[in-house]
Amino acid sequence: MRHSRAAYPLTWRVMDVLERLAAAVWPSSFQRGLPYLMLLPAVVLVGLLVLGLIQIGDSSLRTLDTSTFMMSENYTLANYQRALSEKFFATVAGRSLVGAVIVTVVTLIFAFPYAYLMVRTPSSALRKFLLVALFLPFFIGQVVRAYGWLIILGNQGMVNEALGLVGVPPMRLLYNYPAVLFGLVQYMLPFAVLMLAPALTAIPAELESAASSLGAGWVRTFRHVVLPLARPGLVGAGLVVVTLSLTDFAIPAILGGGSQDFIANAIYDQFFRTSDQGLGATLSLLLVAVGSILVGVVFMLFGAGTLAMGDERK
Amino acid sequence: MTGSRSKSIVIWAFVITALVMLSAPTVVVLGASFTAGNIITFPPEGLSLKWYGAIAQASDLRQAFVRSLIVATICTLIAIPVGTLAGIALSKYRVRFARTIQIYLLLPFTIPLIGSGIGMMLVFGEMGALGKLWPVGIATCVINLPFMIWAVTASASNLSPDLELAAANCGAPPLQRFLYITLPAVLPGIITGSLLMFILALNEFLVSLLLVDARSVTLPVQIYNSIRSIITPDLAAISVVFIACAGVAIALLDRLVGLDIFLKSK
Repeated sequence: MRHSRAAYPLTWRVMDVLERLAAAVWPSSFQRGLPYLMLLPAVVLVGLLVLGLIQIGDSSLRTLDTSTFMMSENYTLANYQRALSEKFFATVAGRSLVGAVIVTVVTLIFAFPYAYLMVRTPSSALRKFLLVALFLPFFIGQVVRAYGWLIILGNQGMVNEALGLVGVPPMRLLYNYPAVLFGLVQYMLPFAVLMLAPALTAIPAELESAASSLGAGWVRTFRHVVLPLARPGLVGAGLVVVTLSLTDFAIPAILGGGSQDFIANAIYDQFFRTSDQGLGATLSLLLVAVGSILVGVVFMLFGAGTLAMGDERK
Repeated sequence: MTGSRSKSIVIWAFVITALVMLSAPTVVVLGASFTAGNIITFPPEGLSLKWYGAIAQASDLRQAFVRSLIVATICTLIAIPVGTLAGIALSKYRVRFARTIQIYLLLPFTIPLIGSGIGMMLVFGEMGALGKLWPVGIATCVINLPFMIWAVTASASNLSPDLELAAANCGAPPLQRFLYITLPAVLPGIITGSLLMFILALNEFLVSLLLVDARSVTLPVQIYNSIRSIITPDLAAISVVFIACAGVAIALLDRLVGLDIFLKSK
């Protein structure tokens, strides 16, 4: 008797207890509900965002009483009217939209050759180097990267000091629109390359060899074979870059120096400078709507791409 | 072969420009942190480690860094069970409304960051929790959760359901099947996901900015606030901490799963 008990190790007994506990909490007749139970924590966590959106919606319908600095009790659409009619917001929105489009075009022009070389190169060392060069800035964070640009482009920065050595007077390279766009391009490059790379991997290299063996030069092969086949990747990457740069906060704040605000900066100012929570919430909600529509279009057209979770079965 | 040569020249021209753009800030911050001067100049005024000494003395920077570490830890500790369970459920089971649930779980990516941040600021403000660190941890977890779920589902799809059936056939009850078969199979995904979550939470700026107050600033917010006033090399030295963390994360990621997985077409 004692011998057989010794043969039954402690861990097994612990497991038996746990197993019985699990069966008591979640009997096997509930089996079909199990995946929903497993999904529940994630659904609750993301629910915080939904709650947040509801809160934003609620605030957006209340106006600020400037005499008491209290939010009004009853709902009105006044904030939406102000957001859509005031010229300042139109300027900021226009600046963000034009900026986002320019950034996207430039980013794609640089990201495409990068992704192409990374996918096609036979050297695995080069591929790894390109990947590391991509992930390092991605993992460093926006603030540190923008800080690096301040050191390079500032009035006493490296570029101006170097120009000074050859007698060129210092130039104002920061706190203007091009500086913000430049910062955004370099911020978006990793995103664009990582969205493009899987699309390029899917194009068989033999297609290009076939085109060139039929006498097409590389420019023609590129235009008529590679580019059309890479279009889903290009559109996907483009829309992601448009949304991310349209809604960015840190780069316009740091490299724009307050004079080149994008929509996110205007929202921040409404909350923390003017303390007009209602108007800030209205602007947030409008931005969320535009951003979600853009991303929604991407997912509808191309699926979630590399970010698809679970099997794609329709 | 002239065509092929001109092609490589064009491609390399773009790639080298992109590489310079990507790496210049990192290289410059690294270089600036070793300067011996009091302001950042070019060419540098000689080498010294004095700014590293300075940040070791500066208690506000040190505390901000510790706060960032706490936030990243909270974020990762929440993301591991939540993301793992959701990932396994999505890839292993046939779930009704799977597509709707997927779209719902991708909300953190579809809602612009400023919207998510403001929303959570209002929610946590209502709860009276602003200024504490745990809301920041939860918020960074929410906005990056799809990364975790994605990493787990990617490795769970490699697991053959036959293995679990075989274990059941040998008499393993459900919990043992989960602990000894399913969990080890998705472990690489859990590791990738938690690395991503940790490093992204460590760097998270905008959502932190919205959720912290003067007493609870995290390191990215602290750097941002200091940038506004004056540029001194101690900021470069503290930024090197981020570069080092990023380097370690990339090395681990490459070691454990290989960076090449990001090139795969699905």
